[in-house]
Amino acid sequence: MPTGEPKTDILQGTLDLMVLRTLESMGPQHGFGLAKRIQQISGGALDLNQGTLYPALLRMEQRGWIKSHWGVSDANRRAKFYEMTRAGRKQIAQESQDWARTVALMERFLRPAE
Amino acid sequence: MRTLLHCLMPLVRGRRAERELDLEVDFHLSMQEQEFRLQGMSAEAARAAALREFGGVARTKETYRERRGLPWFETTARDIRYALRGLARNRGFTAAAVLSLALGIGANTAIFSLFHTLMMRRLPVKDPQKLVLMYRTGGWGRGYASYPLYLEIQKRTDLFDGVLARAGVDRVRFDAAGGDRLETVWREFVTGNYFAVLGIRPALGRLFTDDDNRTPGAHPLAIISYDFWQRCFAGDPSVVGRTVKLDAQPLTVIGVAAPGFHGIGVDRAAELWEPAMMKGDSITQPGANWAWIVARRRPEKSRAQIQAAIDVLYEQHRNSVWGVNVNAAFRKIVMAQRLEVKDAGLGISLLREQFGGALGVLMAAVVLVLLVACANVANLLLARNAAREKEIALRFSLGATRSRLIRQALTECLLLAVAGAAFGIAFALLGESAILRFLPAASANPFRISPNAPVLAFSIAISLLSALLFGLAPALRSTAVDPAIHLRPGSTRVRTWQPTMRRLLVVTQVAFSVVLVALAGLFSRSLSELRAVNLGFHNQSVVVFSLDFPNGWKPEARHSAYERFLDRVQHLPGGALVSYGSPGPFRGGSASRTMRVPGSAVTAEPVWINFQSIAPHFFETIGSPVLAGREFNLSDTGSAQIALVNQAFVRQFLGGDPNPLNRVISFDDSKPVSHIAGIVSDIPHNALREKPVPTVYLPYSKGLGDGPDILLRTNGPGTAVLPALRREVSQLGPQVTFTEPRTIRQRIDETILEDRLLATLGGFFGALALLLAAIGLYGVVAYGTVRRMGEIGIRVALGARRGTVVWMVLRDALLLVAVGLAIGLPFAMAAARAVGSMLFGIRPVDPAAFLLTGTVLAVAGVGAALLPARRAATVDPARVLRHE
Repeated sequence: MPTGEPKTDILQGTLDLMVLRTLESMGPQHGFGLAKRIQQISGGALDLNQGTLYPALLRMEQRGWIKSHWGVSDANRRAKFYEMTRAGRKQIAQESQDWARTVALMERFLRPAE
Repeated sequence: MRTLLHCLMPLVRGRRAERELDLEVDFHLSMQEQEFRLQGMSAEAARAAALREFGGVARTKETYRERRGLPWFETTARDIRYALRGLARNRGFTAAAVLSLALGIGANTAIFSLFHTLMMRRLPVKDPQKLVLMYRTGGWGRGYASYPLYLEIQKRTDLFDGVLARAGVDRVRFDAAGGDRLETVWREFVTGNYFAVLGIRPALGRLFTDDDNRTPGAHPLAIISYDFWQRCFAGDPSVVGRTVKLDAQPLTVIGVAAPGFHGIGVDRAAELWEPAMMKGDSITQPGANWAWIVARRRPEKSRAQIQAAIDVLYEQHRNSVWGVNVNAAFRKIVMAQRLEVKDAGLGISLLREQFGGALGVLMAAVVLVLLVACANVANLLLARNAAREKEIALRFSLGATRSRLIRQALTECLLLAVAGAAFGIAFALLGESAILRFLPAASANPFRISPNAPVLAFSIAISLLSALLFGLAPALRSTAVDPAIHLRPGSTRVRTWQPTMRRLLVVTQVAFSVVLVALAGLFSRSLSELRAVNLGFHNQSVVVFSLDFPNGWKPEARHSAYERFLDRVQHLPGGALVSYGSPGPFRGGSASRTMRVPGSAVTAEPVWINFQSIAPHFFETIGSPVLAGREFNLSDTGSAQIALVNQAFVRQFLGGDPNPLNRVISFDDSKPVSHIAGIVSDIPHNALREKPVPTVYLPYSKGLGDGPDILLRTNGPGTAVLPALRREVSQLGPQVTFTEPRTIRQRIDETILEDRLLATLGGFFGALALLLAAIGLYGVVAYGTVRRMGEIGIRVALGARRGTVVWMVLRDALLLVAVGLAIGLPFAMAAARAVGSMLFGIRPVDPAAFLLTGTVLAVAGVGAALLPARRAATVDPARVLRHE
């Protein structure tokens, strides 16, 4: 089914993990705050349209990893805040493990042959 | 698909989600914009930069919107595709499952459709639940009452918001315009307030009012049904004001009733309504019972309150009408009568009384069939899942959640149920027409084979329910796997619960089948007992019919036509003997009068006695020997004061007198007495179930114009003379017809319809359940045998005999059957007791029927185990052991 998302699954998973980790360390955040934080941590290395964040947030919410509620931002405006769920925390553990495995695997290929 | 989603989305999620998305994006953009402005950009540049950073607002929103509706749609579509692939790969499994379900759902749909028509469908009138019927019991017919009584009840405005009366729907000759087309129409005589009480509006013209029903014979008006208007007049609005002829009587059509309304009778759809006053002069007499009285009860009055009030009213009515000057026997019947206040929201139906019980039993039976079918599908699913254990374990380890797998399994079940329902409904249409062909036209009349909304809803509901029933347990079971164990090599048969559950299912199937087979056995035993009833005569192929003249014929003309006809029929090729009588055999009618045997204490008070008026050679024609004396001959007909009596009469009224000839009987306390000229056998005249009724036979003395039943004994098969008969009838005059020429055997068959229906359909459903259970049994035994092949191989290698091996497998099957029997038999006996009143000649716990049930199931068990047993017995130990 065409979804209109240009990203591959790998990238999708990566973004998920970034969002989850950010939420884990910073607590509830609105979309803009998340986008800023991710950009900041990546040090500008991640060339990401901020807009792609929102469908990803929705997807994660649908999977039950995060939940959202409407609140008031620092600037005293209504904003939608996202926070982790217990399933999200599990998901971080799971995905971190997967990542470690992938990285380890890739390393074996990338290490100069002995 | 995207466009489809696009259309669906706003509908599903509504505007709120859309507004929230806008808000969220706006918030993001303005925050970003603010940030850029703080960095020193101009307002315009900051806005543009913020939009650039965001990267296509419309596109993001679009993606978001799609995503919003996606999970459900996407996973469902994926599940369906996955399920379809699985089902297509396993054709045998799919076919077996769909067929099982189709049979179960089809049987349910067919019977429910009949059940719904007769037992559940409310009349299409205003507040049908408030309608009550005053049902008369206690003699002189049942149900209908007299017009004076109706008037009494109508006065009770404290109880009712309106009271109507109608006569049973009858069929009359109908002539639309100038007379070239001869048709018949179903007519209902009704009181003027009929439509008003029911709350029916006209589709055209006007309906009756009280002014249209005041004076006997003075209101030649008619209202036609919407369907009839469409069919016969092609919906022509000029029908109002037209004159039609009913039985040669001209009537003016004044209106068309609302569509869908066919009167308050269920058994026959009325097509034309006529004011009750047109029924004739005698309708207002207290002794003329013709009126079905239906009332709309006031909301605050319960049926019990109305019953109490009606009891009082009826008591007074009887005393005022029959209180004085009636003979004691007459009075006895009057006093035995009662008015029962019954619910009439479903309409008036005699068929309901006849078939209601049978349909209830059949409905229960088909539900059992469906349960057996569900067990079968569950069994198939378990077997198939066992083969897919590794696949499921693999999918688990690849990260699928259990709920996803369960959902997937249930999607598959739903697909099976949908396919089963589709085929089932097709089966039901076929099955229903078969059942209706089995009923005579008159009884099949109310049932129309067209799938209507309630019936379809029922089919779909039971399909979904069965999907849950057969799907849930296997889905839960099959997803309760531990990948760690199941993916280990060589660990294919670790689990033990699966065979246990499958064996449980098979036992259930057997138990349900036991109930159905036992019922089928009982009903067919009961039917054969009915068939074996001693009728007292043996020529069942005698053809019986009566002539039907147009209304205009004078009695003398009819009489001479009868005589001409009888004379000609006597000499028809193939005809052997002709006689006639009234009310005639197995017609559902009876005639009675009061009688005394002078000098007998039993008849100190006059008693009611059934009588038949018969022509000479009546008993010779039907093949019943005259036990003593003689039957009537040609010289007796007319005023001869002689009578024949049956054995029951001799026993009851003549004290078993061994020589009753020439004793006398007096009828209706009149002076001239009749002498007994002969004794005949006890012959049931209305039903096989009736006990011998004392009966008197008198010489046919009335004018033949009244239409006795003509009995024609033929040399060949009874139906062979029909064309010749038809020719003779047509020569009597235009528009003369004969009614329902049938052999006595056919007439008898129609009196035991319920029994035949139960025996035939019960047998069919029993066989169906048995077949499904046998298939389930086969599956389990075959699987068990395969699992034990290694063991069997070792046994054979160690010198076990083939017979021992076969017995091993058979014992397995018979054990399951035995457990099923043990569980099913108590239920079967309870069911048998519940239907006890429908059985004839046998007790509910009929040893023969239950012995038969046990035998049939044992045979089915052996049959199901035969193939696996053969396979086990012919096993080659070397090969099996090598394989292990």
